[in-house]
Amino acid sequence: MKRLIPLFALCIGLPAAAQTPQLILESLVAKAGPASAARGEQLYRAKSKAGKTADSCAACHTDNPKAVGQHVKTFKAIDPLAPVAQKDRFTDPAKVEKWFKRNCQEVLDRPCTPQEKADFTAYMISVK
Amino acid sequence: MNDYGITWKHLASLFLAVVATALVIERAPASDEAIFPMPAGKTYVNECGGCHTAFAPGLLPARSWRRMMAELANHFGEDASLDEPQHLAILKDLESLAADGPQANMRMRRISAAIPANAAPQRIIETGYFKYMHDEVPRHIWQRKKIGTPGNCVACHIRANEGRYGEREVRIPPP
Repeated sequence: MKRLIPLFALCIGLPAAAQTPQLILESLVAKAGPASAARGEQLYRAKSKAGKTADSCAACHTDNPKAVGQHVKTFKAIDPLAPVAQKDRFTDPAKVEKWFKRNCQEVLDRPCTPQEKADFTAYMISVK
Repeated sequence: MNDYGITWKHLASLFLAVVATALVIERAPASDEAIFPMPAGKTYVNECGGCHTAFAPGLLPARSWRRMMAELANHFGEDASLDEPQHLAILKDLESLAADGPQANMRMRRISAAIPANAAPQRIIETGYFKYMHDEVPRHIWQRKKIGTPGNCVACHIRANEGRYGEREVRIPPP
């Protein structure tokens, strides 16, 4: 039943409603395969040569996703990325998609695959 | 009753008048307080304030904002493109709240008057007004870890995302 909730939400057009990180992960997994937090962590830390400003996710979000980050160019403080440290993270599917779109393009110079998004989200949820 | 004809009533009304005046002075923003109008709703702060301070539109003239919005796909080297509805809504707000916009206050008109008519500056920190207002800030302050660049308004102007740049609300992060 729990797995069907995101499906129901999509059917009746409620994806904008507040969700939980777990529900967001489930709807990402539905578009990919089973998620791996370990692969997600690799993605988070991997150095990319394609990055114009930031060469990895960790460049701005720091090595510790529970810590306050800082934009490498504007120096603006960034709230922690892990839901355990910042409770509104991964609760708005539109916001999650927006930042995957922006930041994957920025760091990898390409969109992330559904599998990468699922893995990344699984890693963030696994951070305790 | 005394020799001067002053009653308790006189004293009480004098006291009340002083209190009322004090309250008005207390609450009114000082005339030198730099407060800029901001777009209503959360779109502007969420979209533009995601990567940097949600700069007050009144810090640049409308022609600067029009050029910036037209070049969002290459926004200081990054792709900051927006969906069409958000793009239009933000552009409209920027134009109406710009330094030379219809709602400009004295401070905003001063900002726009200092910018040559043929220029459309893209960096607030390069405007004459910004330089004049920050000329006393030594370089080592800008280099503090939590500030990093003069464009990081919200590092010191803690309510910059609400359009509040008043000196009384400046909190410079320690080194």
